[in-house]
Amino acid sequence: MTVDVDIEEPGSSTAMRFEVLKTALKDAAAAARPGRLSFPTRRPIETPNFMGVTSRGCLPHLTPDNVTKYIQASGAYMSLEDFIEKPQQHSSRVPPIYSTPTSSKHPTPLHSFTGMPSFITTILGARRIPAVPSPMGNTNKSISVFTNTGFQPLTTSDYLSAVNTLKPDITIPLSDLTNSNITPNSKRALRMAERTEDWIVDWFNSSSSSSTATFAPVLPISYPMQWEYLTRLSEDYVDNSQLSGLAIYDPSLLPDLPSPLLSLPRLSLSPPTTPHQILSHISLGIDLFTLPFINTISDAGIALNFTFPAPLPSSPSRLLPLGTDISNPSFSKSVTPLSENCKCYSCTTHSKAYVQHLLAAREMLGWTLLQIHNHHVLSEFFSGVRHLLQNGPDEDFEKARNDFLRAYEPDFPAGHAEKPRARGYQYKSVGGGEPKKNKPAWGKLGPDADGNVEGVETPVVPEGKEVEEKGFAEEVKE
Amino acid sequence: MLPATRRMASTLPRSQSSAALTFELLGKCSTTRARASILTLPHGKVNLPIFMPVATQASLKGLTPEQLEGTGCRLCLNNTYHLGLKPGQEVLDAVGGAHNFQGWNHNLLTDSGGFQMVSLLKLANVTEEGVRFLSPHDGSPMLLTPEHSMSLQNSIGSDIMMQLDDVLVTTHPDKARMREAMERSVRWLDRCIAAHKYPERQNLFCIIQGGLDLEMRRECCREMVARDTPGIAIGGLSGGEAKDDFCKVVVTCTELLPELKPRYVMGIGYPEDLVVSVALGADMFDCVWPTRTARFGNAITKHGVLNMKREMYAADYGPIEDNCGCPCCRPIEEEGALGITRAFIHHNAAKETVAAHLLTLHNVWYQLNLMGKAKEAIIADRFPAFIKEFFAGLYTDKKDYPSWAVDALRGVGVDLLEASAD
Repeated sequence: MTVDVDIEEPGSSTAMRFEVLKTALKDAAAAARPGRLSFPTRRPIETPNFMGVTSRGCLPHLTPDNVTKYIQASGAYMSLEDFIEKPQQHSSRVPPIYSTPTSSKHPTPLHSFTGMPSFITTILGARRIPAVPSPMGNTNKSISVFTNTGFQPLTTSDYLSAVNTLKPDITIPLSDLTNSNITPNSKRALRMAERTEDWIVDWFNSSSSSSTATFAPVLPISYPMQWEYLTRLSEDYVDNSQLSGLAIYDPSLLPDLPSPLLSLPRLSLSPPTTPHQILSHISLGIDLFTLPFINTISDAGIALNFTFPAPLPSSPSRLLPLGTDISNPSFSKSVTPLSENCKCYSCTTHSKAYVQHLLAAREMLGWTLLQIHNHHVLSEFFSGVRHLLQNGPDEDFEKARNDFLRAYEPDFPAGHAEKPRARGYQYKSVGGGEPKKNKPAWGKLGPDADGNVEGVETPVVPEGKEVEEKGFAEEVKE
Repeated sequence: MLPATRRMASTLPRSQSSAALTFELLGKCSTTRARASILTLPHGKVNLPIFMPVATQASLKGLTPEQLEGTGCRLCLNNTYHLGLKPGQEVLDAVGGAHNFQGWNHNLLTDSGGFQMVSLLKLANVTEEGVRFLSPHDGSPMLLTPEHSMSLQNSIGSDIMMQLDDVLVTTHPDKARMREAMERSVRWLDRCIAAHKYPERQNLFCIIQGGLDLEMRRECCREMVARDTPGIAIGGLSGGEAKDDFCKVVVTCTELLPELKPRYVMGIGYPEDLVVSVALGADMFDCVWPTRTARFGNAITKHGVLNMKREMYAADYGPIEDNCGCPCCRPIEEEGALGITRAFIHHNAAKETVAAHLLTLHNVWYQLNLMGKAKEAIIADRFPAFIKEFFAGLYTDKKDYPSWAVDALRGVGVDLLEASAD
């Protein structure tokens, strides 16, 4: 039942293999399909599945040893803009990542520079997900990217040479996106398609024997606006195996794809914000997801606790929450795990009370434990999806999807944990004057407290009558 | 002079036990006062001399308990003041103590909470009853007594508890106040001993006070030693006094302390301070500096502290420290090696928490390894050579050696400035 998209042959661009495990679904336009994506020496990725989203080469709060031990995700998305800043005093330096030596353990410069375990499949794109909109437009030869030191242009040839140097497993060539919520007018949309098509032609003309699989962007504009571009992709680059997959910015376009493109793996770059949306995109035929919401949910102090298929409802009228706000002080004495029956490291080793304490104390380990747990919940969720798709009749998945929709609340609960500090490269002020996200942790305690010199303790200030209630000291009756 | 090894063999090992602790002396340096020993605590054995990293709020700055264990750490600190506020005594009782709470199956040491009171709350005022302070929230007067401190440390369940003491900065000008603080600390020790509920499973250490007045320190030593606690701390130091004065206090105290009890110098952590203090006869040390400086992007190495944020490291693909055995630095072929480069730390220092976690791993490993190497050198009776190698690694020119260290080491028979014998 195996269908190779890409058979290794001389001149073939990559050793990637993608199999759709149900042949009947191989060329289906808009249907959920189980599959397997594999690269030599990487852990094979059963699809549908998700990739972790990195920041500056790290899965946030997870050191590489913890990734190896506790994270089931087999892939990581990285953005080039995280690595190519030009510090003011050293504006002419070559980004250090380009000269990274490799080793047996870290076979590509991208793995080597970031210390990412070698079983992880890497995807390199130009922009972070989600990308901060640039005040400068794109040009005919470049897009505007947002680095740690500000916006700068990234030309198509720079990007190509970056990919050739860094050797990611998958790359997404540049596309002319606005990264804004406003739908582009038809003139702008047409230019997006034309530029992206020009750049793709250049890309395939210039990229020779790269070991990297190319996933061509499918733009977030209507099919008629980009049919010429999509037709060129299907006619010129599928048969010769230059094109290995598609990067989908709008899953609703999937039913319109030209049939030669249908057998390619489909990576979603339009981040779903809830598991309901994930399921809906799976129904449309997405194979791989990037899910930046995991990182933001963990920072907000939420432990996810949904499963697929959904458990049978105990009381049909009440919707189940998708997650628990662990920062809630009511958990301060709860010795139960973040989520019942969860097998992740955080749940088998630690309690809600401890994570609640870590969040309240703004100890970084709190976010680490939530990241481990939340990645695990998503891994189990996708595993449940694949089990149904692989073993059941096609209707089973749709039925379970509807049950899930009925069982769970439509949105995540609000998290009230104080978040890690956000920096310019993660967050762009729009118009200025936004309030601070967190209350200040430091304050002058007395006339001679001298601020932020190294060696000064972070003051921990008792709240309310807490001191006495907690038995630490008693109030004096004068 | 008899060969050192023979002399040691005739008298060692010797050990002494109390209800919840065994101290076993493995070896003594034949030149300095350095000692190597094994301390058996309720949660297992630790080697002395030891550096104890500080997990202030029941977490070592982003590391999982398994990662901390991986650095070789078997004894770390929690701060009583912080745990008393968050999560609080009620929660600690409900979850069965701080070991359970943080998933740490090795030893814990807690301070009394008094130091943070005095250093963080400017309005604190010490009376015979305890530390009085105004609640920062509503300004109402509060009181922390030795009995409160013991009760809380009993709830925490730490393997080593510290008495509540009357801490003054060593540079305090008022001699009468200094004497009062020293004598009060002795009286408070008596109250702590009386209030301690579980002497059979938790060790209470006394704390020697007396500022920089060596006579007062001696007096305090005699009083404290008479109360026969399982271990003894030298307190009030590391508060801005000159290093010469610091060394004089340590050397004065260790001279009077019983041989078969652990000696803990509180609040020091710079590598030079550790090595010199070991030579002066101290066994245990703690400091937040190694983990704090990691979060500022600084790596501790045998050649000094390197600020990884400097541009010179941007394209440096070597390990944080050559020949270091920590998970970040050890050769990439080895099991568990992470292959972290200086370039990657530079890329993310002060930007992603992961860089802080990695430097914390490295710095804790460095400190523990330094003490482990000191122990080996003491047992082999080559500790003076170890000290010389250590300083030669830090400074290329002997003229740069800190004079306080040269003087203090000369006092225990090691001349850092003499031409090397070989």
